[in-house]
Amino acid sequence: MTTAQPSSQTACAAAPSVAEVEASCRLPVLFLAFSGAAWLCAGAVLALLASIQLYQPTFMEGCPWVTYGRLRPAAVNALAYGFALQTSFALALWLIARLGRVELAAPLGLTIAAKFWNIAVTVGVFGILAGDATGFDLLEFPLYAALPIFASYACLAAWALVTLHQRTERELYVSLWFVVAALLWFPWILSTAQGLLLGWQVPGVVQAIVAGWFGNNLLQIVLTSFALAVLFYFVPKTVNRPLANPGLARAGFWLLLLLGGWGGLAQLAAVPAWIPAVSGAANVLVIVPVLALLVSLWQTADGKIAEAWKDNATFRFLLVAAILLLGVTLRTAVFGGHWTQFTFFATARTDIVLLGVFGLAALGALHHIVPRLTTGDDELPSSGLADVAFWAALLGVLFVGIGFSLAGFAQAGVNADAGKAFLKDGVVGIAGQLKLVTVGYGALALAALAFLANFGLAVRRCCAACCGGAR
Amino acid sequence: MRYGPILGAGALFSLACSWAALVMAPQLQLGALAPAPIPNSSDVHPALRPGLAAQGAEVYRSLGCYQCHTRQVRQKRLLFGARLNAVGSNANTVSLELPGSGKTNLVNLDLLIALAKARPDLGIAKVTVPPPLLADTNVVAALGQFTANLALLQHADDKAGIVRPTSGPTVNDVAGRRPAEILVKVGPEAAERAVKLLTDSGAKAELVIYNLGPDIERGWGARRSVARDFVNDTPVLLGSLRVGPDLASLGTRAPEKFAAPWKFAGTNTAAELEHRLLIHLYNPRLLAKDSTCPSATYLFDKQKPEVRYAGEPLVVSKELPPVFPKHNARALVAYLLTQRNDVSLPEAPTPAVAAAPAGSNAPAKP
Ligand code: HEC
Repeated sequence: MTTAQPSSQTACAAAPSVAEVEASCRLPVLFLAFSGAAWLCAGAVLALLASIQLYQPTFMEGCPWVTYGRLRPAAVNALAYGFALQTSFALALWLIARLGRVELAAPLGLTIAAKFWNIAVTVGVFGILAGDATGFDLLEFPLYAALPIFASYACLAAWALVTLHQRTERELYVSLWFVVAALLWFPWILSTAQGLLLGWQVPGVVQAIVAGWFGNNLLQIVLTSFALAVLFYFVPKTVNRPLANPGLARAGFWLLLLLGGWGGLAQLAAVPAWIPAVSGAANVLVIVPVLALLVSLWQTADGKIAEAWKDNATFRFLLVAAILLLGVTLRTAVFGGHWTQFTFFATARTDIVLLGVFGLAALGALHHIVPRLTTGDDELPSSGLADVAFWAALLGVLFVGIGFSLAGFAQAGVNADAGKAFLKDGVVGIAGQLKLVTVGYGALALAALAFLANFGLAVRRCCAACCGGAR
Repeated sequence: MRYGPILGAGALFSLACSWAALVMAPQLQLGALAPAPIPNSSDVHPALRPGLAAQGAEVYRSLGCYQCHTRQVRQKRLLFGARLNAVGSNANTVSLELPGSGKTNLVNLDLLIALAKARPDLGIAKVTVPPPLLADTNVVAALGQFTANLALLQHADDKAGIVRPTSGPTVNDVAGRRPAEILVKVGPEAAERAVKLLTDSGAKAELVIYNLGPDIERGWGARRSVARDFVNDTPVLLGSLRVGPDLASLGTRAPEKFAAPWKFAGTNTAAELEHRLLIHLYNPRLLAKDSTCPSATYLFDKQKPEVRYAGEPLVVSKELPPVFPKHNARALVAYLLTQRNDVSLPEAPTPAVAAAPAGSNAPAKP
């Protein structure tokens, strides 16, 4: 990745220029971003089909491959591994390269590892549909997909960390703290969970505890960290101010790491009482770091929010993602206990974090990164499609979140009162709310399509420019 | 911050904390949990599943039934009670009928005192002895003891500020009914004390337990599910969402406690339940019109299969031709039928067999 061009950066003699950095990112980051968005579309469609079966049980009846019990985990895992984690690698690589002012190590190797990741996710999703799911939430991929996933992750993360090590800008900005933490966190939780569940097979309910611990860490630490990395990068950049309160951000960062990994087990009833109690307390305490981080962002952008909302497509996504982060944290802290246990309210946290907090932040970031790496502009070619992507994603997340939450409240009422008829109040009674969820997944698929179309336009324009110039 | 390694070490340390607390600690606490012997039998709970049911567990996992069904019964509180089963007798038991009248009316005077101590809200009626009996020295001695005890009780009542009602039911009435619920839904200390008072007075009394909460009321199980119920399972499919009813004790569920209640037609209840579950698998909407439980028609053959031991055809309904459950359908039903939590465990007793309350009996707090 050497070019004859002299470095335009004067800050550091060895530092590559922005153009060089971006050139090194082009192949792997665009590949990861494109595949991630494609998985978002696929996962949303699978989730949509599954949600219809919740009130229309004869829909797609009679084929085991598409029964709810397989379609739903296939959708969630497609969204988690295909969309969320894959997109976060794109974001991580790009942030490391930009903020560290360094060219990516082994862009080709990264692309090949990303390709393998996609193959593994595809195999995993088909494995679930074929009936090989492991039975643990967010870890449903069978072993034959889980091992390649881990191997491709190891390559991606290793090259990412090598790149970080070679950075020319030594100071690590807040965004990179989150990226580093998440990159180190993920292999530990994944190997622990896969080792204990699929390899060593710990006995009894410990399995459910391990799976819950993994799922919570994936959502609360890994994906939330990537979302925060994006927020801390783009918010100061968009409003063109330095980060207002780095001390607060630092405190929030460490507290989030210390407290975030303790939640997620309030969903278990058949375990010693201290386990859900500890998790419930952690769900409340984690409000502190989340607030600290968001206040630091808010102080940075204060006064310029309305202006940035109007001018900048990325910023709109990020603002909503930040509000959703606050919302989902409070929601879990206030209502996350015994009352909503075993309802859609509790299980929908996965959807809101995956698609809302992380999903919107990531889509927002990609609306800046993809044009930088293709046309060289700051925005995607079609602002109309960008608008469609934003509003569809926003409505999609809101519909899914609100639909599941309202259905969950109705279920909680039935769970708490044996006098209510289970079938009438708890099953038939929530069909309306679940229809909202179906619409929400549809909107999310549309948002992914709009983004992909815009992506395609940008790539075409880029190719036309290059090839046109050569001719 | 300039140093990546410090950052990484800090992150790994934070992770190690939550790992130690939420992965290591539960493994240390629960890793050695073993099935518990069932009292008065050579069996243990949970029993190893027979082969067919073990295959059914795989079908349950493969079809993702755990996506809509939990297998965790919850319970709010565990409360206790004391039940009087027999009056018993001792030196202070007198018969209030004349000898030769052909009737007996044994009154355990100590029991009356014990009952009065256990139930400060009840009065004590006078024990009237037919005059001819007063010639019996045993009766006189017992009555004397009783009067002395009453005085002591009165003293204790005054000290504690207890005023007994002068009308309404009395301990004498309660002692006359058997079995009598002396205390209902109280804490373990009060119930234990009452049982001790009653047994010390020569009566036969037992500790009763009350598992409470909507899940129990719905008939989804006799008690809460605990970690021990799952020591033989792998993978452990607890479920986290109740789109459908909890299945933790489906094998012992009463017909009227199903989401779509039904009734046993005959006496072969086991066969009826199995038949019912097969039809449910084939098409839940034949049993409950509004059910959203997916039908697993693919677990049934339309034509009689060529294999030997194909099994009996399943008559689904009057209008439809019979179908032939495949092996997996039978396995899944066998698995569902092994779902039970009616076995009393030290950490989660069931009403049938009350164990002595111990500190560890506190149910999971919400
Ligand atoms: C889409 C969610 C869903 C899935 C997946 C699902 N069920 Fe159900 N199930 C329900 C609902 C809703 C009911 C309550 C209505 C009824 O009784 O049919 C129910 C009821 C039941 C009942 C009757 C329990 C009772 O107390 O009435 C059994 C047994 C059952 N399901 C077994 C299964 C099995 C076995 C599977 C896996 C093949 C499964 N279910 C998958 C939703 C689901």
